[in-house]
Amino acid sequence: MVARALTWWTILKISLEERLVYRGDFALGTLMRFLPIVTQIFLWTAVFAASESGTIVGYSRNDIVAYYLLTMLARAFSSMPGLASGIARQVRDGEIKKFLIQPIDLISYLLLARIAHKLVYYLVAAGPFALVYYLCRSYFPGWPATDVFAAFLLSLVLSFMLGFFLEASMGMIAFWFLEVTSLLFVYMLFTFFFSGHMFPLDMLPDFWLTLVDYMPFKYLAYFPAAVFLGKIEGEALYQGLLIQTAWVVFFIVSCRLLMQAGFNRYSGFGG
Amino acid sequence: MIKAGAKARGQQSSKPCPSTFRPDLYPDAHWSAYNLLIMSAIKIRGLKKSYRVYRKKEGLLASITGLFQRDYREVDAVKGIDLDVEQGEFVAFLGPNGAGKTTTLKLLSGVISPTGGAASVLGHTPWLRENEYRRRFALVMGQKNQLWWDLPAQESFRLHQKIYRIDSSEFQRTRDELVDLLEVGQLLGQPVRELSLGERMKMELTAALLHSPDVLFLDEPTIGLDVIAQHNIQKFLKHYQAMRKITILLTSHYMKDVAALCRRVVIIAHGEIVYDGSLAGIVDRFSSHKVLTLHFAEERMPSDLARYGEVLEIVEPKAKLRVDRSSIAKVLSSVLANHAVEDVSVEDPPLEEVIADMFALTAKNQADKVAAESLTPSP
Amino acid sequence: MHHPSYLGVFLTFARNSLIRDMTFRANFLIEGISSVSWMIMNLGFYTLVYRFTPSIADWDKYEFFVFISTTMFVNSLVQAFFMPNAQELSELVRTGGLDFALLKPIDTQFLVSLQRVNWASLGNFFVALLLLAYAVPRIEGFELSPWHFLLYPLYIVLGVFILYSVMIALAATSIWLGRNQSLYDFWFYITNFSRYPMEIYEGTWGTPLRQLFTFVVPILVVINVPARIMAKPLVSDQVFLASFAMLATAISLLGSRWVFKQALLSYRSASS
Ligand SMILES: Nc1ncnc2c1ncn2[C@@H]1O[C@H](COP(=O)(O)OP(=O)(O)OP(=O)(O)O)[C@@H](O)[C@H]1O
Ligand SMILES: [Mg+2]
Repeated sequence: MVARALTWWTILKISLEERLVYRGDFALGTLMRFLPIVTQIFLWTAVFAASESGTIVGYSRNDIVAYYLLTMLARAFSSMPGLASGIARQVRDGEIKKFLIQPIDLISYLLLARIAHKLVYYLVAAGPFALVYYLCRSYFPGWPATDVFAAFLLSLVLSFMLGFFLEASMGMIAFWFLEVTSLLFVYMLFTFFFSGHMFPLDMLPDFWLTLVDYMPFKYLAYFPAAVFLGKIEGEALYQGLLIQTAWVVFFIVSCRLLMQAGFNRYSGFGG
Repeated sequence: MIKAGAKARGQQSSKPCPSTFRPDLYPDAHWSAYNLLIMSAIKIRGLKKSYRVYRKKEGLLASITGLFQRDYREVDAVKGIDLDVEQGEFVAFLGPNGAGKTTTLKLLSGVISPTGGAASVLGHTPWLRENEYRRRFALVMGQKNQLWWDLPAQESFRLHQKIYRIDSSEFQRTRDELVDLLEVGQLLGQPVRELSLGERMKMELTAALLHSPDVLFLDEPTIGLDVIAQHNIQKFLKHYQAMRKITILLTSHYMKDVAALCRRVVIIAHGEIVYDGSLAGIVDRFSSHKVLTLHFAEERMPSDLARYGEVLEIVEPKAKLRVDRSSIAKVLSSVLANHAVEDVSVEDPPLEEVIADMFALTAKNQADKVAAESLTPSP
Repeated sequence: MHHPSYLGVFLTFARNSLIRDMTFRANFLIEGISSVSWMIMNLGFYTLVYRFTPSIADWDKYEFFVFISTTMFVNSLVQAFFMPNAQELSELVRTGGLDFALLKPIDTQFLVSLQRVNWASLGNFFVALLLLAYAVPRIEGFELSPWHFLLYPLYIVLGVFILYSVMIALAATSIWLGRNQSLYDFWFYITNFSRYPMEIYEGTWGTPLRQLFTFVVPILVVINVPARIMAKPLVSDQVFLASFAMLATAISLLGSRWVFKQALLSYRSASS
């Protein structure tokens, strides 16, 4: 047990170091990430200036800005750059074989590496995030009630897990179709548009809104942000968290099943 | 076949003298007369290059602090070398790993700029990267490829034609000649990524020679090739150089390459030139002993051979001894006086061995020097 | 002797890239489709926004569509001709492949800037044409004049040059920094500012920002100038910005060339 924990700790540490080597990239990357928010603020200011009413689908301009800032945070948890494409590449190169040979569980390994990745990211990004949130504090409606805040935190953690297992499942498809780039691209487009990263989903016409309700994507960005802003309350909040959890469980299971099936198929090939 | 006169530029083909002529190798020649006729192709004076390398620190905490400050040290890859190469010479550049060979070739082709010193190739300073210069030389690196990976080699050749502005008929002729010599005609239409290492190397050579360079830098062109492919490339280079009389600087770790191709050898170790002369001269200079082979006429071999020198091997009735160079005459006369010997031969030890010994020696000297430096307290 | 034929070399690059793209046809299609669908999503977003407002900073819906198609023209050209090369440059630096570019008797910046042509990105160019043809007639009071045909393409080309300058200067920094993975991100975020009408940058923060991205890093003129020429009446107050765009292009090109040359001086190749 201890030995096992040690192995995982070593893996985590190595991943952390690997991530820290490219410090220039890191500093630049984090800084840049906030620039789109600036243009969004100006864009929405212009939109609200021209529209007659002070709110759009219940959002004031400040709400919208706060919404964007919050989805940034949510995406910092739920986005998994390079996860699926990394799995696909490993399958293609045959590197995945080492998980068949070594006593390391692929998904746990990837999860740890990802946690390391995220930890380092938060370490570097905490400063800029705090600074930006502080500068933009006037856009926020104020601190939510404790239970709402707790729900928000929970939804963030769940969005991390959803993002991870959803994208890992996408990556596993590479066992069947070697060229998954197109699939991943569709996935990326869907998440960007339907996660609410681009605009508050409430703006969608009814038909699309129902569609979005049946997809897991909105839990990657829209849901945590809307919870924080108090757009989802009471019964709907618990229901939402429940559905989010259900999606997480669904993808944990599907991810593992896909991996097992993939490994079977892989060793069947003798590849 | 390549015709020496086929070149567009006349000045090289009308060269009047043997291309590999070197006064110090032929002390009796009237070298001063030749000196007027031969232009130095490459002239290097005090050339220096040092790199600043950043140290990655061990451990997690260090990596984090590494975000804010970094350690570095200077690596002196080339420490002030002087070298002259005449036009039409085929010079081998030898040295252990990390000696600075590739760095020197990169400096001479203007890829990097030196930290000190001067060099002139065909009258140009390489790192000024003038087009007139770049049109007249080529660099081939065995470890890298410059052909488009996903395209057939002929497409890359056509690109070269455009870049070097070779006119169509000349391009076609040169390409066909090279391709014939290297026997890769049927592979021209195959994507480069599907070629074997040897075939790819031949394509690289073809690409590099399409514009008929006057100076050619070859950095380990035979690395990783099998014996036959190595031999093919040697044969090609020898032939090509003899026909075109171009100046070639070659680095290689294969002594076969060197023995087959170059009369002049320059050895560089730790960024300094430690030898410049003929291949045979290396043995004179760096080998302290000879190998003495004795064929005895007696039924029984003498049992006390060890007193003459180190016994290398005994296969009756023959024995091989390693004898100090200085005492060879004395040993030989005493052997002949004391034993009935049918045949005698005195040979130099194999070249590889001498060079390996020499590399080991310079490495040891270097290590001693570094150790001595680190002992003296720095201010 | 003579200069290399730059046009001939470029055409060979374009031809070789096409041959290469055609050997990976599936990839080519995917890339084409993906960049097109990306823009369609963008269009969807603005359609959505215009459900709630009649205009954004005085750009009404169809004027804004012209703005978007201008963005698409410029971006597709940049992505087809320069983007793959700028990304390749940091790879060339990392692997030492830049060595070979430096050996060639041809301008190194030209060589590394245009080696690859990403034909798939030109898909957006045609979508942009369609969008333009759809939106322009729907602009109130629009009158087509020969000036449109002359100035619009001209300023699109100038815009492409400005973006190219920024990009190659950024890419050249990878020669200094060794590796620069966030180049693409940086590029994306910087050019992100250029994708909006400059009028939205107003107020205490907006005005200085607008001036910064107009006069210091002139990326705001990239799309705004041609888009205005097409979508807004040709009036005299555009003249200043249009002449400035000319100047800005010249300065950007020269500046980026200087940066590139400086960076090359400190190129250290890769070991081995
Ligand atoms: N780009 C670089 N950055 C940092 N150090 C370098 C670089 N290129 C070379 N070096 C260092 O300079 C020294 C000389 O390297 P060089 O490549 O010239 O050796 P070499 O003689 O070609 O060796 P080999 O036989 O292994 O090819 C080495 O210690 C190497 O680590
Ligand atoms: Mg080398």
